[in-house]
Amino acid sequence: MAPPRESNDLARQAAELARATAELQVLQRVSSEINSTLDLEEIYEIALRTMDELFEFHHAIILLLEPDGETLTVVASRGYENQAVGGHVRIGTGVIGIVAQRRKMLHVANLGHQRAYAAAQRRQMMKSDRRAELGEAVPVPGLPNAESQFAIPLLMRDELIGVFSIESPVRYGFSEHDRGLVLIVANQIASAVHKARLYEERRRAAEALQVANASLEQRVAERTAALERELRVAQELLSAARSRVEGPLLGDSPEVRALRDAVAREALRSEPLLLSGPTGAGKEAVAHALHRASGRRGAFIFINCAELQTESRKTPLEPMAARSEQRLLASKVELASGGTLFLEAFHELAPGLQAELHALIEAREQPEAREPTGLPTGSLPHDMRVIVATIRDPESFARDGRLLPLAARLVRNVIRVPALVDRREDIPALVEHFIRRHARRLGKIVNRVSSESMARLQAYKWPGNIRELSTVVERALLVSRGTVLEVDEDLLDERLAVGSYRLVSQLGSGGMGEVWLAKHRLLARPAAVKLIRHDPQQRDAHAQLVRRFQREALVTAGLRSPHTVQLYDFGVNDTGSFYYVMEFLQGLDLHRIVTRFGPQPAERVTMLLCQACRSLAEAHDRGLVHRDIKPANLFVTRLGHEYDYLKVLDFGIVKDQPREDATLISAQGILQGTPAFIAPEVMFGASTLDGRADLYSLACTAYWMLTGQLVFGASTPAEMILHHARTVPIPPSHVSELPIPGELDNLLMRCLEKDPSSRPSSALELESELSRVALDQPWTQEKAREWWDRHAPDTLREVQI
Amino acid sequence: MTRLPSEIRPVLDNGIPAVMVTCSADGVPNVTVISQVYYVDEGHAALSFQFFSKTIRNIRENPRACVWLSDIDRLSNWVLQLEFERSETEGAVFDAMDMQIEAIASATGMSGIFKLRAADIYRVLSVEQISQ
Repeated sequence: MAPPRESNDLARQAAELARATAELQVLQRVSSEINSTLDLEEIYEIALRTMDELFEFHHAIILLLEPDGETLTVVASRGYENQAVGGHVRIGTGVIGIVAQRRKMLHVANLGHQRAYAAAQRRQMMKSDRRAELGEAVPVPGLPNAESQFAIPLLMRDELIGVFSIESPVRYGFSEHDRGLVLIVANQIASAVHKARLYEERRRAAEALQVANASLEQRVAERTAALERELRVAQELLSAARSRVEGPLLGDSPEVRALRDAVAREALRSEPLLLSGPTGAGKEAVAHALHRASGRRGAFIFINCAELQTESRKTPLEPMAARSEQRLLASKVELASGGTLFLEAFHELAPGLQAELHALIEAREQPEAREPTGLPTGSLPHDMRVIVATIRDPESFARDGRLLPLAARLVRNVIRVPALVDRREDIPALVEHFIRRHARRLGKIVNRVSSESMARLQAYKWPGNIRELSTVVERALLVSRGTVLEVDEDLLDERLAVGSYRLVSQLGSGGMGEVWLAKHRLLARPAAVKLIRHDPQQRDAHAQLVRRFQREALVTAGLRSPHTVQLYDFGVNDTGSFYYVMEFLQGLDLHRIVTRFGPQPAERVTMLLCQACRSLAEAHDRGLVHRDIKPANLFVTRLGHEYDYLKVLDFGIVKDQPREDATLISAQGILQGTPAFIAPEVMFGASTLDGRADLYSLACTAYWMLTGQLVFGASTPAEMILHHARTVPIPPSHVSELPIPGELDNLLMRCLEKDPSSRPSSALELESELSRVALDQPWTQEKAREWWDRHAPDTLREVQI
Repeated sequence: MTRLPSEIRPVLDNGIPAVMVTCSADGVPNVTVISQVYYVDEGHAALSFQFFSKTIRNIRENPRACVWLSDIDRLSNWVLQLEFERSETEGAVFDAMDMQIEAIASATGMSGIFKLRAADIYRVLSVEQISQ
């Protein structure tokens, strides 16, 4: 029988062996379980459960380091009444914080004593002069009454992951053996957390990659689509550009064949070339064809000389403007190096710039004879072809006295671009070409043009040439519905279209201007259109007339009196004609009324004169003098139910009192106004011309209305002018067969005074005095309606257009 | 060599201040109270060197010291005869002492105030339990 001591030893050894075996089994299981999962929550659970199984106590906490590297956060805990999960510990604070900071495990076996000692020290310091050194006590997660704490840093390849801490309320709760066990578990935790984190990071990276990949694929798809769109646009632009170049040269007529031959012949030369032809005939396209056939690698540079000229007109006296044009031309010349410099509307190029350009061409051809020029001299463009285009006939171009050296060279080398009307047989080929070009752009499927429409197109005069043909085809395509294109007759006469208005019938014409009844394309509102046809052969007269019309339009647009004709629109149409659109008035002007129906009663004349005064008063207030008041410019119409409504027309020669040079008329040698109704001071070009001149003319008009006679009888304008200047008129009452009140008679005679200061001072004063004239029977609306019904019943009927 | 008995370990840091007696080279004794005696191994104990005190000066002159520990669990006292052996400013003992001091101090708003200058290692010359 074994002695009792040996038996006890054996029992103790057996118990220790059993405990060690159990611990080993626990550790094997934890190792197996913790390494079989990548789920962090599961890892924490296994670790904490293992602590339960290994120790009687079960206060354990797992903290992980935050990305900021300064804080630990509790991710799992067990055994705490107050769940510590989510709590934070700063690195360097408390047992856990110090363990994380030093990356060394720490076992404190007598926490209570340590804390009590520290508290005592703190109280002492609070009483001493070292109080300022004290900081705030920091709460840390854990048991408030813990006596033992064992904290282990969770490290992976020397990198801190977190801290694993166990606590016990028992002093010396952990033996060396216990610490060894905890250390093993802690290492397992660190390894498993590291792996799980790596897996999570990779999973997130893979997801991010997938998202990025999807985004990239989407961006690539969008970019591809955008590039395809850009490519389509570029192809369309290229196609359009090619069409512009090729279009005008299509066809098989003798004219276009000759043109193509000329292009082929001229392309390889470098001599400056002049292209002559009407507007829209395709001169620019011919220039492009020449450039392409020349084999020049440089650019095709376009300059519109009219734009340069416009700029110089804006500031004629400023040398800066000239320098600006020169710089612009110089930059274009540089760009055209090795290519083609194309100048459209060459006839508009200022002589100075012509000379500069000519000097440049000469310098290039004869460098030794080069003269200073404002154009680039440092590097003269090599092999630059100069091509110019003009709508003017080269013959007339040479005769008009502006034949500068460059022009003289150009007229020796001319290609004439034919008008479309001279190559009608090419129209089908051109129509087919434009259908192809526009239909693709407009997304239309059109195979051909109906035979009727083609016949219409071939019969048309084409004043706008190929450009007009292109526009007509485009417009027809816009409204087309089938595969066979129908070209409406309305589209053809674009000369009869101005802005949003279509000309319906001509109301009158004279000189270079015409007046048309027109209707708005959408509103069907009737309107009167004044039109100046663009005639390149009468350039100066046309320009003068356009300026007058522009002035009239601008002046009229600024006037709001209902007795002044209203302006709707003005501009230049496709064929280059200037137009302005005004309200369409139905009725008769005073000239026609008197001519057709004889002198008018004083009551009616007085009423009409008052209305004219209201219109003139506004103009005069704005400093404008009409200068052409006469019966033909005073129009009597109906406005709604109001009869005998007077409108003042034609502010075309209006004079701007304060700004315009008073000597303009005499300087130009042109007398503007109508001699029978002109005031003396207008004839003499008085510097103080004002609205009283219009009152004189208005009195002349009244004289005509009351008497059917002019104030003065004369066989020539000169004689008439002399009378206005010298002769005292016979009072209207002496001439009229109808009674004229004395007050009216006297008032008109005052208006006809040679000296403006003897006339009423203003239109408003005249109106006021007219309104005070005692009349036997006032001119009422009933009388006016009766007059129109009896004398001109159809005149005021609303026009159907 | 005298060994520290295992039952003395809880007494070393039971929270009851110990009494330490040192003596200068000229024989003048000094009695002071210390908060804790650290257990190093069976033959050694460690005392924290935080302040330049009379005790430290005496130990530098005369390495012998006597520590009186109160064991309230057994209602007895322990008397340790010690001899200063060395000062450690690094190593496991120093680290453990330093981390404990800083861990507690940092949580009570006294971080950096109790700076451990060295861990003074004493060899145990004798251990005597005296019943009260």
